Amino acid sequence: MLRTEDIAKGFGTKKVLRGISMEAPEREVFCILGRSGCGKTTLLKCLAGLEQPDAGRVMLDETDITGAPPQKRDILYLYQEPLLFPHLSVFENIAFGLRIRKRPEAEIRERADKLLEELELSGEGEKAPHQLSGGQRQRVAFGRAIIVQPKVLLLDEPFSNLDAQTRANMQVLFRKLASRHRITSIFVTHDIREALTVGDRFGFMDGGTLENFPEREAFIKDRRSGAREEFDFWNNLFDHGKQD
Amino acid sequence: MKRINPASAGIWALFLLLTAVPLVFSLVYALLYSFGLTGVLAEGFTLRHWQLFFSEGRFFSSFLFSVGVALVSMGLAAATALWWVLRYRRALNSRVMSLALYLPLAFPAMVAAFLAFHWLGNAGLLSRIAWQLGWISEPRQFPDLINDPWGIGIILTHYAMATPFFTLMFKAIYADNRVGELCLAGASMGATRSEQVRRIALPLLWQKARPTLLLYGVFVAGSYEIPLILGVQSPQMISVYAVTKMNRFDLNTRPQAYIIALLFTVIVGGLLRWGMGRGR
Repeated sequence: MLRTEDIAKGFGTKKVLRGISMEAPEREVFCILGRSGCGKTTLLKCLAGLEQPDAGRVMLDETDITGAPPQKRDILYLYQEPLLFPHLSVFENIAFGLRIRKRPEAEIRERADKLLEELELSGEGEKAPHQLSGGQRQRVAFGRAIIVQPKVLLLDEPFSNLDAQTRANMQVLFRKLASRHRITSIFVTHDIREALTVGDRFGFMDGGTLENFPEREAFIKDRRSGAREEFDFWNNLFDHGKQD
Repeated sequence: MKRINPASAGIWALFLLLTAVPLVFSLVYALLYSFGLTGVLAEGFTLRHWQLFFSEGRFFSSFLFSVGVALVSMGLAAATALWWVLRYRRALNSRVMSLALYLPLAFPAMVAAFLAFHWLGNAGLLSRIAWQLGWISEPRQFPDLINDPWGIGIILTHYAMATPFFTLMFKAIYADNRVGELCLAGASMGATRSEQVRRIALPLLWQKARPTLLLYGVFVAGSYEIPLILGVQSPQMISVYAVTKMNRFDLNTRPQAYIIALLFTVIVGGLLRWGMGRGR
């Protein structure tokens, strides 16, 4: 389980995170909803070790990892963009983490091939990243992350650059793979539908603070989540359609 | 049938007229000259010049010396530039460092050769400094760094000229290809700093810089002013060797200058084709 205690972070005089405390339970998707600029990305980078918090602690399975470098955390950060290695093939991108861990060649082949199949990318392994579509590239980035079976996967609006249909497909695929591979993950998004599709637990972030919701219902009922407005919008549309 | 845009066809024709046509013309002329079919010594088809050329046997030592100078000076320059970019990237963005990198690019090769002559020679500034510091008992004891058979002066001068250029090139490639972010992604997957450099930064920078490095290598191997001022009679770098044959009082050596130019063009063309092909 990943836990934070009073994480604070500022850049110059600007305070971006103000005492963030949260718990991401094991094998569940903790979804953080928030508008652009609310500090979601900074929080994830502090968890991944890509930024150092000014105050507070990051605990992974009750071990303090606040000062640990990114490569020693077993926490993987997935960027908004796929950021695939352009000099490597799709297969080698997926196999990257296993090669770093010096796994035997046969195991690398087997696991990477299996994951390519799960990601519906069989037959694309020898292609270069630039030969794939946006959705395919994001799937490769996802596969590259989960193949190393990190303790926690951090997803920073990973589908925000995709079209609506591809995005919906990716959300379903993520849900399927997250439960199959039993991945503990923190997923940040500004889209309430995406949050409700992929999340098991929810938090709402605003102005550098995070509110945790114990239940899905409490999250939906909270006015700030925007779930009510979304629901009303579709209801009204449906009602107008019936009247016409 | 595909329609041809007259404006674009005109631009292509002009481009070919200014680049490919003079090159092909020169090569054909050199070929004909080497077989005695044109020029002041035209005597009808003969293999005499080629036989004389191969009996002298200096071409391949000169060619290997040129390639060696290019490989060593560029290898050192590329290694230094990579080290700076990977280690001190932020410092390189400062105004002073930018000026320090751009300024040497303004020096012509001849000026760089003269500077090297004044710094590295037996009676040069370095030898005097070493003498003043008491490291040597007289300036003559300073090692021969110019006009030496190993081409050290030539190598150091090319190294000094190429390093700022390579640094700017690697810095631009690093930024354009988001190498820093890719390394962070690698770190997140467990790659150590050295693995990030070996598996991500170096292969990417090499892949993108490869064509420019190859072309710069050809430029160094075929350079003229620097080896002319800092080189020795033997071995000579290929351009100096060719010009020596061309400008001799005895006009009989002139066809051999054309043979040198021809062979150098063919070998370098083949190497470039091989090198670029491997990069794809």
